[in-house]
Amino acid sequence: MIEFQQLTRTYGDFTAVHPLSLEIPSGEVFGFLGPNGAGKTTTIRMMMGILVPSGGRALINGLDCHLQRAEVQRHVGYLPDNPIYYDFLRGREILQFVAEMHGMGRREAGQQALRMLSEFGLDEVVDEFAVNYSMGMKKKLGLACALIHDPQVLILDEPINGLDPRAAREVQDRLRQAAASGKTIFMSTHLLDMAEKVCTRVGIIHRGELTATGTLEELRERVNQNVSLEEVFLKVTAEGAEAP
Amino acid sequence: MTAPVRPGAAPLLRSTSLLIRLRLRRLANLIAAGSQGRKKPDDKTRTGNPGKKSSKIVLYIAWPMMLFMFGAITANSVMNLHGALDPPGSFWVTVEFSTALAIGIAFLLFVLWLASLLVTVGSGELAKPEWDLEWLITLPVRAETLLWARLAERSIVNPSGAIALIPACTAIAWYSGLRWSAPLIGVLAAWPLLLLAALVRTLIDTGLRLRMRAAQLRNLHAVISVLSIITMYLAISIGLKGKSDFMLRVAGSMPDWLLYTPMGLTVRAINERTFLDAGLLTVALLAEVAALVWLGLQLLRHQLRNGVVAGGARDAARNSARQDPESDAGSRPVAPARSAFVELSAVQRRELALLRRDRNFLVQSLVLPLLIVGGQVLLGTSGVASTMWTNPNVLASVAFGLAAYSLSMSAFQTLNSEGHALWLLYTFPCSIEEVLKDKAKLWGVLTLAYPLVLFGIGAVVAPSLDWTFAGAMLTALLGIPIYAFIAVALGVFGSNPLEQQPNQKVKPAYVYLFMTLSALYVYAIVTPQPVQRLIFMVLSMLLAAALWQKARDQLGYLLDPDASPPPRVSTSDGLIAAMVFFVAQAVAAAVIIGRGRMTGAAVLFAFSIGGAVTYALMRSVYAKAKTEGVPQILGSANRPLLGLAAGLAAGAVGVLYIFGLDALDLLESFKRAGESYASLGLWTLPLALIAAPLFEEFIFRGLIFGGLRRSFGIWPATLASAALFAIVHPAFSIIPVFVLGACAALVYERSRSLLAPMIVHAVYNACVIGAQTFLL
Repeated sequence: MIEFQQLTRTYGDFTAVHPLSLEIPSGEVFGFLGPNGAGKTTTIRMMMGILVPSGGRALINGLDCHLQRAEVQRHVGYLPDNPIYYDFLRGREILQFVAEMHGMGRREAGQQALRMLSEFGLDEVVDEFAVNYSMGMKKKLGLACALIHDPQVLILDEPINGLDPRAAREVQDRLRQAAASGKTIFMSTHLLDMAEKVCTRVGIIHRGELTATGTLEELRERVNQNVSLEEVFLKVTAEGAEAP
Repeated sequence: MTAPVRPGAAPLLRSTSLLIRLRLRRLANLIAAGSQGRKKPDDKTRTGNPGKKSSKIVLYIAWPMMLFMFGAITANSVMNLHGALDPPGSFWVTVEFSTALAIGIAFLLFVLWLASLLVTVGSGELAKPEWDLEWLITLPVRAETLLWARLAERSIVNPSGAIALIPACTAIAWYSGLRWSAPLIGVLAAWPLLLLAALVRTLIDTGLRLRMRAAQLRNLHAVISVLSIITMYLAISIGLKGKSDFMLRVAGSMPDWLLYTPMGLTVRAINERTFLDAGLLTVALLAEVAALVWLGLQLLRHQLRNGVVAGGARDAARNSARQDPESDAGSRPVAPARSAFVELSAVQRRELALLRRDRNFLVQSLVLPLLIVGGQVLLGTSGVASTMWTNPNVLASVAFGLAAYSLSMSAFQTLNSEGHALWLLYTFPCSIEEVLKDKAKLWGVLTLAYPLVLFGIGAVVAPSLDWTFAGAMLTALLGIPIYAFIAVALGVFGSNPLEQQPNQKVKPAYVYLFMTLSALYVYAIVTPQPVQRLIFMVLSMLLAAALWQKARDQLGYLLDPDASPPPRVSTSDGLIAAMVFFVAQAVAAAVIIGRGRMTGAAVLFAFSIGGAVTYALMRSVYAKAKTEGVPQILGSANRPLLGLAAGLAAGAVGVLYIFGLDALDLLESFKRAGESYASLGLWTLPLALIAAPLFEEFIFRGLIFGGLRRSFGIWPATLASAALFAIVHPAFSIIPVFVLGACAALVYERSRSLLAPMIVHAVYNACVIGAQTFLL
């Protein structure tokens, strides 16, 4: 379960995330929508302990994401919007390293890494340096890193941004599969069709403020009947719009 | 509509000036960004960022200093060349150079030119395409114009070239009889050479990049950075007294045609007395440079004939993967060859894999230190090279220096070597401190290789193997793991892993701090007294613990651009307070006593003033920063009886120790040395029973023990704080004072307020004074 309690983040005078309170129960696929620069990545980085909240806190399974970061990471898999890997290391070696850091034995980690890579269709490039991967391969490798320890919670920053249609479809299928197996997924995106296809609930963040949350049906009702999520999104994030 | 766009290409002059302005603007932004700390525009709140001013220091102090230094060195070089190449006793200064001397000076210019070129190429990252040609080629400018503009721009914006060549040309002009115009001539004369440097540099980093695979480029880069250091040393050695023989002999054997190269023509043009001849030589020089540049550009165009983007990066990785014997591992996932006797952690194995594959990293962290320290030893004027094998202290100091230098390039860089992949560490269910600890251990062991090899040689060639040799070696060897931890901790503050520019990744102030601290440890190696050695080791260990703690507090905030950890009482505060206390005490004593005699009252007042100043200072700093965990004198559980009991126990040890000394007839000599309380008369009582417990407990138990306790277990914290407490006392009382420190720390652990340890301290002092009075 993910919980935000008045989670706030400021940079100097600029408030990137206004006090944000939200609860995401286990098993839900939550889509965190918003325009560029709305505060999505800032929120996710606070969940990962990369940024420190200026106020409030984020909890995962009841543990504080900043103060108990290491403990939280046992249950969390993370994919950043732009995964960057160590130079001079092959995809297989990176995945094995990640698995070992999650406490797997060396041999087991190596085997598990190879298994995951072939599951993700990366057999051909296991022995290539990961920095040379294309964007799609990097995201897939990142997803493999996020899933290798079989976490209960997935935190994904723009998981299919920049992927070609086939890769995007593959990643979506993976996410649905993960959701079906009971994982909680929190993902940010500005690709609305993807949110419509995968998410059970969405929240729209605009200028650091959560302006709307609910299932797709609920959101449609609040704005107008029978419009697409795109219409809802544009309406909610229009300049000077009041929260509906 | 705005003004109509002119069809065709932007003219040469315009695009050149645009490119130069862009590059200068970028340089200025880099300097400005360096002085603002981080890139976030609203970064005002981050405190404790002493890297802020460093780049301005480079701008205002380091640059003129470097120019002056190189000027002085080349002036010396010219003198040395004159001494070596001209017949003895010949007249010179402000006259025409002899042919031999002109050849020698042309050779000097050539070596300087080469060194600056290699430094420039080696300081960038050859294998990482930073070059903007890929982007510039999309602008409506002809490729040829673009290449010319690039050359012109690089000939002007080339700091290391300017530092090496402008002072040299100025010195040549000076010795040619020019005075006020020498700097101007120096700048003008250096420019054609800088243009040539720009040409070669562009051929290497633009042209060669397309032809070579990434792995080859990295190797080339490693070789160039080694060569650049060697060439720089060779160039400098010409100007050093007693070190120039080799290069002067080489200069003497240079052929005449060197006078017709651009370097030779430059020397002759500067030195020529008649206006017409000078003009002709200048024209010849410019023609020659122009021809060379034209040829170079043809070559460059040939290199770029298939486009400006290198296509080989991916193939390179595949190829190198195949060449690596470990990588036929589709079926064999791991090859645990090296873990036969030590089980390395995943982090350590990864670091070793990087070291094995990244030649550049290998050269930077392990080879360059050898070259640089080796160069210093060989070129230095202190005769270290000759005494090293006969004097174990010198050998041990050199060995430690070498290891420390290597640590500054390796352990110090642990965060930087994570680079942009640092986010991965945040996804692991272990603290980042554990990762850093693994790396500190690894480098602490790896860098032991240098001293071990040196000591091995030393043991073979040394005149005698004795305790001095063993002591110095042991001190150096023990220091290296300690300094590995210090390097990693300082590296946390001194590095910017997310920075794109390689030269912005490290804050120089912290590297200097590390080198200064390392230099202090050399004192521990050379001091003849074992007690001093012990003191320095204890201090270094405490310092390592304190810095580690500071770094550890910082770790949760590494990737955060402007949050910083909440202020808490740290070991380092205690070390600072102890220092302030001693300095304030010394100053107060000097003021009170003036020229008079040191009396008991003066000691009491100086001590109390020093203590009060320290106490007030620390409390006000803490209050201002709203620090957590400031030690209190009275708390909820004061435990005075526990304090009394522990004080009696420590006092018993003290009294027994004094009687023991007395039985061995040692007490008298200590008393004569004025190292006991008894020499201060009745003033002893308020000093020993009130002032000392009050102030010393605040610093040593409250801050140092309390600070250590935050990060360490009860026994390490107790022993370390007691050790520091002991070594700041007179040597003869180290043992009982250590016991007192340990008792007071343990009592403080229980009471959580300072009253009880103060009682321990006062009771102990009372017992000891009683015993001394009884015996003397």
